[in-house]
Amino acid sequence: MNGWSVEGLVSQVDGFRLGPVDLELAPGRVVAVLGSSGAGKTTLLRTLAGFLPARAGRIVRDGVDLTDRPPEERGLGYVPQGLGLFPHRTVERNVSYPLEVRGRTDALARSRALLARFGLTELAHRHPARLSGGELERVALARALAGEPDLVLWDEPWQALDVEARHELGRVLEELRETDRVPVVVVTHDPSLAFSVADSFLVLRAGKVGLRGDAATLLAHPSDAFTARFVGFENVYDRTALERGRPGSLASWLSERAGTDGVAFARPAPRAGGDPDGAWDGVVRSARPTPEGLAVTVRVDDLSVALRLPPPPLGAVPSVGSRVRFDIEEKSVHALGPAVPGPRGPPE
Amino acid sequence: MSLGSAPPHRRRWHTGPYWLALQLVLSGSLLLLFLLPIVALFTYAPPGRILAAATNPAVTAALYLTFFASGIAVLAAVLFAIPLGYLLARRAFRGRSVVESVVALPVVVPHLLVGVGLFFLILPGSPLYRFTTAIGLPIYDTIWGVVLVMVFVSAPYTVLAADLSFRAVDARVLEAARSLGAGPATAFLTVTLPLAARGIVAGLLLTWARAVSEIGGILILAYAVYPGGPYSGPVTSTLSVYVYNLFQTGDLADAAAVSSLFLLIAFVLFFLVRLGERSGWVPWHRGELLP
Repeated sequence: MNGWSVEGLVSQVDGFRLGPVDLELAPGRVVAVLGSSGAGKTTLLRTLAGFLPARAGRIVRDGVDLTDRPPEERGLGYVPQGLGLFPHRTVERNVSYPLEVRGRTDALARSRALLARFGLTELAHRHPARLSGGELERVALARALAGEPDLVLWDEPWQALDVEARHELGRVLEELRETDRVPVVVVTHDPSLAFSVADSFLVLRAGKVGLRGDAATLLAHPSDAFTARFVGFENVYDRTALERGRPGSLASWLSERAGTDGVAFARPAPRAGGDPDGAWDGVVRSARPTPEGLAVTVRVDDLSVALRLPPPPLGAVPSVGSRVRFDIEEKSVHALGPAVPGPRGPPE
Repeated sequence: MSLGSAPPHRRRWHTGPYWLALQLVLSGSLLLLFLLPIVALFTYAPPGRILAAATNPAVTAALYLTFFASGIAVLAAVLFAIPLGYLLARRAFRGRSVVESVVALPVVVPHLLVGVGLFFLILPGSPLYRFTTAIGLPIYDTIWGVVLVMVFVSAPYTVLAADLSFRAVDARVLEAARSLGAGPATAFLTVTLPLAARGIVAGLLLTWARAVSEIGGILILAYAVYPGGPYSGPVTSTLSVYVYNLFQTGDLADAAAVSSLFLLIAFVLFFLVRLGERSGWVPWHRGELLP
């Protein structure tokens, strides 16, 4: 298996149009599909899986055009939203299903081997209704892998999982990438797991590819508000909100650097000891300790800005109403909008 | 799942004894309405008479015909009603609501009208009459007439149950099956059908119950049933018509005895279903099939 290529894929559901989407899926690579609700993430997966017809473009595996093949002939391990486990089958027979429908006589034996690998042996004879969220996710993944798929499509894993189950699943995915060498397309809202498993990212915005690239590209060029927030930029401003600022204000300074959609920057660190040269002066509205430091929100004119301070006791907790001076590094400010070029250039 | 599992508080002090009394009176009245006619029947039919009815060849012939014909009606429901339910559940088409209304029609129409309607459809001497007779399915006063009426009045319960049950199968579960390598037919047999089976079986049970208790249409099409087709017993009628006859001719004690015999059989059957639910012999949970 050399990989998949998706070329100019277009799909349509009830007036919503997705695409064109281009994707290269090499063995062992994990692509995370991001985007706000309604951006077309699930539509993309369902088109790849063959449940929605492609209006244009091609889906090719090892030179074989699969665009018009039915779902069962695409060699997929599809994990739909909600997992789609069979409620009337035990865990063991959920996992053996892809082998049973292929008429494999070793279906149960192979299913048990997979269960052992995913730590599910003791649950083999239970029904899905009696499993926890983390266990269900692992069963779904084991079942998706049972038929030795050429591509795993996974819609919203880690949804509603507790911290430990997420960690366990992240470990399983990592192993999947290294042992099975199957390409994975994963749709997610979860930045921490996306960054821990994905080799590349595809950001959808209203059905169009907004951004494509690796983690570094995403962090360096979060071209829209969703991506900016996804990668952890907490200061995201709409262009119209900035244009009201008077000359010389922070709003006006930011609007000069904004793209067509606005501007985003990470939490700036304020200067120690209230440096008189700090460009901006804010009034503290709140200060909360977090694992990453002290999260401080200040008000500058009518803009709210999130800052980061060293956690106590390294730094003092500023009191609400006190003033803090801070600088925003010019290069840390990202313009948002479709016209912003990245190193690979915008799609289209 | 785990969120909803906490037992609700029973605030007895809040509801009070009057509320409980009201509930007992209201639900008790309905139960009495169900029970008292049965008690009355058994009062008029002492065990000796019921036993005599059970061994009377005329009664056993009527019983045999009734169960035989209703069995064929259930098979017909399996063959025709389940596909129609599937069609309604899965396909969007023009005139869907018309079809749905047509399916509900036999449930609301007085069944005597069903008989009259079928009579005018297969008017003796008409082309359809000659056709049914020619292909060996004569309707009047044969088991086929009984089956025809039974299917008409009882199959809608299976259509509706199948529609609801197929609709309740999660489309994502089905899509998972397809993507895992199952073709449409395999996915239907291994996922859709097993998941819808309980509801469909419940519908078939209702269909059977409705078929067994039918009288209106049968009075018109097959008042007496002569041997022919799959039925080779003596000339008889369905149990409902048989009891109606006894009652009309003033044979009240025998009418009560035969009615009681049928009630006993129905009770034993439903009791066995309940017992099966209790001990897990049947593939559904308690209370899923019978109210």
